[in-house]
Amino acid sequence: MKIAYLAYKNMVSKPLNLLLSLMLLMLSVSLVTFVLQLSQQIDEQLNKNIAPFDMVVGAKGSPLQLVLSSVLHIDNPTGNIKLKETEIIRNHPFVKTAIPISYGDNYKGYRILGTEPEYLNYYNAELAEGEMYDKSFEVVVGYNVSKTLKLKIGDSFVGSHGLVASEDDVHDEFPYTITGVLKQTGTVVDQLLVTKQESVWESHNHEGHDHEDGEEHNHGEGEHEHHDHEDGEEHNHDEEGHEHHDHEEGEEHNHDEERHEHHDHEDGEEHNHDEREHEHHNHQDGEEHDHGDEGHEHHDHDDGEEHGHDEDREITSLLVKFKNPLGMVQLPRFINENSNVQAALPGFEIQRLMNLFGSGVKTINGIALAILLVSALSIFISLLKTIRERRKELALLRTYGLRTGQVLLLVLLEGIFLALIGFVLGWLLGRIGLWGVSQYLQDSNGYQLRIIGPDMFELLFFGIIFVIAIIATLLASVSIFKLNVAKTLSDA
Amino acid sequence: MQLYLHVSCIIRSMIQTKDLTYAYDDSEQFSFPDINIKPGKHAIILGPSGIGKTTLLYLLAGLLQPNKGSVSIEGTELNSLSRSEIDRFRGENIGLVFQQYHFVKSLNVSDNLRLRQSFPKSSLDKTRRLELAERLGLSEHLSKKVTNLSQGQQQRLSIALGLIHKPKVILADEPTSNLDDKNCDKVIELLKEEAKICNSSLIIITHDYRVKSHFENQIIL
Repeated sequence: MKIAYLAYKNMVSKPLNLLLSLMLLMLSVSLVTFVLQLSQQIDEQLNKNIAPFDMVVGAKGSPLQLVLSSVLHIDNPTGNIKLKETEIIRNHPFVKTAIPISYGDNYKGYRILGTEPEYLNYYNAELAEGEMYDKSFEVVVGYNVSKTLKLKIGDSFVGSHGLVASEDDVHDEFPYTITGVLKQTGTVVDQLLVTKQESVWESHNHEGHDHEDGEEHNHGEGEHEHHDHEDGEEHNHDEEGHEHHDHEEGEEHNHDEERHEHHDHEDGEEHNHDEREHEHHNHQDGEEHDHGDEGHEHHDHDDGEEHGHDEDREITSLLVKFKNPLGMVQLPRFINENSNVQAALPGFEIQRLMNLFGSGVKTINGIALAILLVSALSIFISLLKTIRERRKELALLRTYGLRTGQVLLLVLLEGIFLALIGFVLGWLLGRIGLWGVSQYLQDSNGYQLRIIGPDMFELLFFGIIFVIAIIATLLASVSIFKLNVAKTLSDA
Repeated sequence: MQLYLHVSCIIRSMIQTKDLTYAYDDSEQFSFPDINIKPGKHAIILGPSGIGKTTLLYLLAGLLQPNKGSVSIEGTELNSLSRSEIDRFRGENIGLVFQQYHFVKSLNVSDNLRLRQSFPKSSLDKTRRLELAERLGLSEHLSKKVTNLSQGQQQRLSIALGLIHKPKVILADEPTSNLDDKNCDKVIELLKEEAKICNSSLIIITHDYRVKSHFENQIIL
């Protein structure tokens, strides 16, 4: 029989003590590993996602919100800006590239992002199969989107308005067709459906034409309630939807009586659609459009989807990469002071966010450390008690020929087993927690956390716990060194 | 060769003590008469309570170091060994049967026996274990927790633990103190029988004069 077996038997012979010590240790370990993994992975993921761009330009508002929405695609956009307002930025000598992006719709909660194919290059997103989108309403899908929604090339779908999944308010007259599926990048691109900007503009221009006479529409929540449409037309615009809706044509909409009358059609949608068609016909008459953006140049005018409101063209934001690091210093300030748009630095904003987050992490780690100390104390007390209770047994083992060192090893092994089991269970608990959060994030934001094996820090942390357990055990076993076998055995 | 063995048997003792003295403190000093027990021979050490019988047993087992004098077992001077060498020597050569029963409570009966077989050097002789359990009537209780054994079963297990590793010397401390006459005789017979099987010297330390008649070699303290 091995000493280890005896140590194990001794350990399990006091299940309640064992439970208490293990629970404390588990709690502490799971808390530390969970929080660290979470913060590390979020930090990592955020940095990976913001890395391609130095600056983002969008509507005035919270710079953090602008970064979250336009770079990380998790928050609502601050609003839209006019494409022409960004002209000066795009032509600035410090700017290497400036990629406009436009939001409008989602498909089952995944955002449809209108941008240039170059955007994908910044994330090293390569096509797994199929082709890059070329025309409006052609779309390439990110890895996770294609996996989750089981989309493949040739599939078509209709987006719904806004950025959260909803059954109503679908643009069913503008079906998107999938031309390509992207490889996994481990970045936000995995969560996106990427299309031409024109797709976004067109599907929302159409909405603009709903209110074609350019009335002032003000989508206040309350106001919707007195929309009394017999045909039950979709006017349930959620907030996010409004922002795009509002800005797509750059008009201030105010749902007044006129507006209602306009909607008083049995088949309002169809009707509006027709209007759009009319509009297109106008374009086919050979009107020339002056596109400020390069991306528009090879646009196919013949399909009649071009609209001549270039000055009014709106984008959600402009993602900028600098040629010269000086741009980082000068441009944001210049833009924020001299224009109606705002510039935000993703690196700076995310750093700010992580600092906030970091103090939370520190607090939780502090708590975990306190629990760890209590857990060490519990192991110490439990072993001390055990050794006192087992004095006679330990003395007996000495008469069997075990040396002091072997008896010490017996107690030490018990402490080590506790530490080992506590750590492993705690680590597993932490990972299960991480998995749970990952599931939640997957559902709510499409983000996924990696469940990985123990990393360097966790191994170090295990080492620390191991050492603490050994110290606690040794302190508890002092009496073994001065164990008087004869006296212990004769004491009644 | 045969002659040599014969001679060595005569001149060597299994246990020999000289001028053995032990003091717990100034007021409690014990001096013991010299003891000389030949291999395979048994002895009974008799004396009233408080005369230092258990102290003598611990001195013989090397669990206490004498203030003066020496103990040698089969020619090995215990004083000449280091603490851990004594532990090992005791583990291998001496079987202790305690007045109070000592077991490892987290192990069952069988594992307690296995544990005794494992130290100081492992000899997990299963046949020996089963035979001994059989003879001591413990066969049916091998998987029981030691705390669930009856008093008698605990006594028999205590004896089994003192014998299982076939020690050269069996030191039994008051093995009969809690027993009635019938069981007293039974336990003494059992010890003698097992000692014979293992070819061990059996030394019983007791104040129980019922045991006296079982042994020729008597040492009165």
